[in-house]
Amino acid sequence: MNEESKKKINEKYERTLLKGERFWPDSIFKDVIMSFGIFLLLILLATFLGVHDSPKADPSDTSYVPRPEWYFLFLFKFLALYGQIPVLGKIEFIATIIIPGIAMGLLVLLPFLDKTPYRYYTKRIFPISIMSLLVVSMVTLTLMADIPTTAGEGIYIPGITQVIAGLIVPSAAFIILTLMNFVFKTTSTKVMIWTTVVSAVLMITFTGATLALAPVTEKTEAAVASTLEERIVAGQDLYSVHCVECHGEDGKVTTIEGVEGLEGKAVMAINGKDVLYTLNDATMAEVIAYGRPDAGMNPFGKAYNPEGLAKGEIDYIVTFMRYMWDDRFERPVIKPLFPALAAGEVPSYDVHIAPIVKRYCVSCHRPGKDSNAYLMDTYENITTSGDNAPSIKAGDANSPLLQVIQGTPIPDPDNPGQNLVGVMPPKSTLKADVIDAWMRWVMAGMPRTAEEAAALSTTPTP
Amino acid sequence: MQSTLWQKIYAWLDERLGLDNMYTGLLDRPEPLGNWWNTLGSASLFLFLLQGATGIFLTVYYTPSPDHAYDSIQYIMNDVAFGWLVRGIHHWGASFMVMVVFIHMLRVFITGSYKYPRELTWLIGVGLLLMTLGMGFTGYLLPWHQMAYWATTVATQIAGSVPFLGEFILKALRGGPDLSALTLQRFFAAHIWMLPAALAALIGAHLYLIIKHGESAYPDKED
Ligand code: HEC
Ligand code: HEC
Ligand code: HEM
Repeated sequence: MNEESKKKINEKYERTLLKGERFWPDSIFKDVIMSFGIFLLLILLATFLGVHDSPKADPSDTSYVPRPEWYFLFLFKFLALYGQIPVLGKIEFIATIIIPGIAMGLLVLLPFLDKTPYRYYTKRIFPISIMSLLVVSMVTLTLMADIPTTAGEGIYIPGITQVIAGLIVPSAAFIILTLMNFVFKTTSTKVMIWTTVVSAVLMITFTGATLALAPVTEKTEAAVASTLEERIVAGQDLYSVHCVECHGEDGKVTTIEGVEGLEGKAVMAINGKDVLYTLNDATMAEVIAYGRPDAGMNPFGKAYNPEGLAKGEIDYIVTFMRYMWDDRFERPVIKPLFPALAAGEVPSYDVHIAPIVKRYCVSCHRPGKDSNAYLMDTYENITTSGDNAPSIKAGDANSPLLQVIQGTPIPDPDNPGQNLVGVMPPKSTLKADVIDAWMRWVMAGMPRTAEEAAALSTTPTP
Repeated sequence: MQSTLWQKIYAWLDERLGLDNMYTGLLDRPEPLGNWWNTLGSASLFLFLLQGATGIFLTVYYTPSPDHAYDSIQYIMNDVAFGWLVRGIHHWGASFMVMVVFIHMLRVFITGSYKYPRELTWLIGVGLLLMTLGMGFTGYLLPWHQMAYWATTVATQIAGSVPFLGEFILKALRGGPDLSALTLQRFFAAHIWMLPAALAALIGAHLYLIIKHGESAYPDKED
């Protein structure tokens, strides 16, 4: 730029200043209102939306689908779409380095590439068009980020519309605009504006089509226990499923009974000071993850056992053991396993029986365990499976299940003196309110949902 | 002349600090007529300061180690008085800052304010945009949750795809072949010391240039 145009620019600026405002108080006033508005919005978001939770990092769980912060999503999507291009798509660094590098380079060098003194919008249609399309691309790519790029074999229409919206239209538009600007230098401003608008509309339309066509994949993220109480309960449930058979419901077992291969094995009571005081949280988690393979406790960590527990789950178990058994920790008030039953109220599977089964029975009665092939993981299995099925009949107070949980074994008709089914759970007795819930549930016809149960309940007339 | 105690104190300070000069130099400046789009730069500054203030509070409880990072955040959210608010503001503030800085850049771009004599202001601005994104990237790993862990694994892998230098960049970012305690430690260092220091310095230069050249006027048909 020559000295003359510089002088012209500076003189014009001085003239506009005379017609302008003062920084204090005019500009500052607007600045303060803006910042204050943003601050209020942040407080509202923090209060009402909070921060999205995700489970603790688990380096062994490689199946986790990564998700960056939302403002990087468009880059991830761009990479995924770029990878679809035949041949070129295999040269990864073009998309990961070269293209973003060029974009940043252009941004840095902008004042030196665009050296004309023109500032008015219609005199700068080319850079403004390119930037607008870039912004539209970023928005559409972000919107499509959660939709799978491919779906295995066959024609996957959302895949095609995505490539059109995210790659083909923008690249074509960039090329056409560049040609118009540098090769056919006479292209009118109007034509360039129309090219930009039409491309943007096409990109938005195909994005809309993708969103409309794509099957909504429901994302199931493991619920995160966040309060101490939730973590303890989560730990207790996990403990009940995985550990009870050897260590007993309250961790005080010293001689393992009824576990194949470990019958009669002596173990330390893991609820005692000897264990709790000598193992800190980290070593405790390690013992659970790595097991005691020599002694017969198999590893529970995902790293050693593909079906094992995640790091966060093991931490829940440790938390549970600490707060329930370690006398150095104050035991918080824990919600009861199920809401107490009023007179005449009928329990339901969803609200009452499922949590009971999960805590007291599932550890032995689940796929992979041979407990007379009686699976208790679902409503259907509880009512129909087992070698001596059915174990419960609606309305029958003598159902085998009800007998064994009340301490009456079922004798084997073929082998007098032997039991077909021993008492359940084998080494402890259920509390009276749990047995009562089972009784009422079976007698009322085993309702599944809370509504069904409510319909069967009778309110005692006072 | 009779003057109150306050006036005396002010005069004493003014003599030594040059308060009156500051007032005319910094505050009582003429500016071209602006509108709400001109507030985005100072909104970026406000968000930077807010992130600094809330971030400092978070470091009181946060522990940058794989064993404790997640739990320390849970503790902040559940047990520290107003911890949820401070973390919530820091979390949403990060998103806002990226967005506001980006829109600020767009407005400067559209009005052609990067031209003479403000080329350097723009150049420093690009640096600010990169640093802001860097803050988002390093901060995201700190809670050490699944989403962040795996997103960072993938993102560092991407950086590792640079021809020739890839291996080195990957190792430098991760502090080893895999994400580990070292990665968390250096992301933490970058997030609370290196990047904020660089940002603060660049913001200083940015503001100096803005005061020196004044804000640009909106272009009219002659420009
Ligand atoms: C298959 C049976 C079995 C299962 C299931 C089992 N353990 Fe063990 N556990 C053992 C045996 C055997 C030992 C070794 C005891 C010893 O050496 O005194 C042991 C030892 C331990 C110890 C360490 C005691 C010490 O100081 O060495 C802890 C803690 C422990 N188990 C916790 C658990 C937890 C928590 C679970 C559930 C995730 C679990 N165990 C599941 C059999 C089992
Ligand atoms: C420590 C492991 C263990 C626990 C816990 C356990 N069971 Fe069992 N269960 C068994 C075994 C083993 C059998 C096979 C029969 C036997 O050995 O007595 C069995 C059999 C049964 C049967 C007979 C199934 C059939 O078709 O023969 C019923 C009913 C039953 N259990 C109910 C329960 C209930 C209800 C609970 C929870 C309150 C429970 N069990 C908890 C180990 C367990
Ligand atoms: C942390 C980030 C940033 C802060 C705190 C910041 C701060 C500011 C402030 C307070 C102003 C004056 C008010 C205004 O025009 O809005 C301004 C102007 C300006 N900024 Fe930034 N900015 C940031 C990022 C950027 C970026 C990313 C760019 C461009 C790449 C940029 C380029 C400019 C330019 C060229 C001006 C002069 C505008 C004019 O005179 O009209 N800034 N900035």
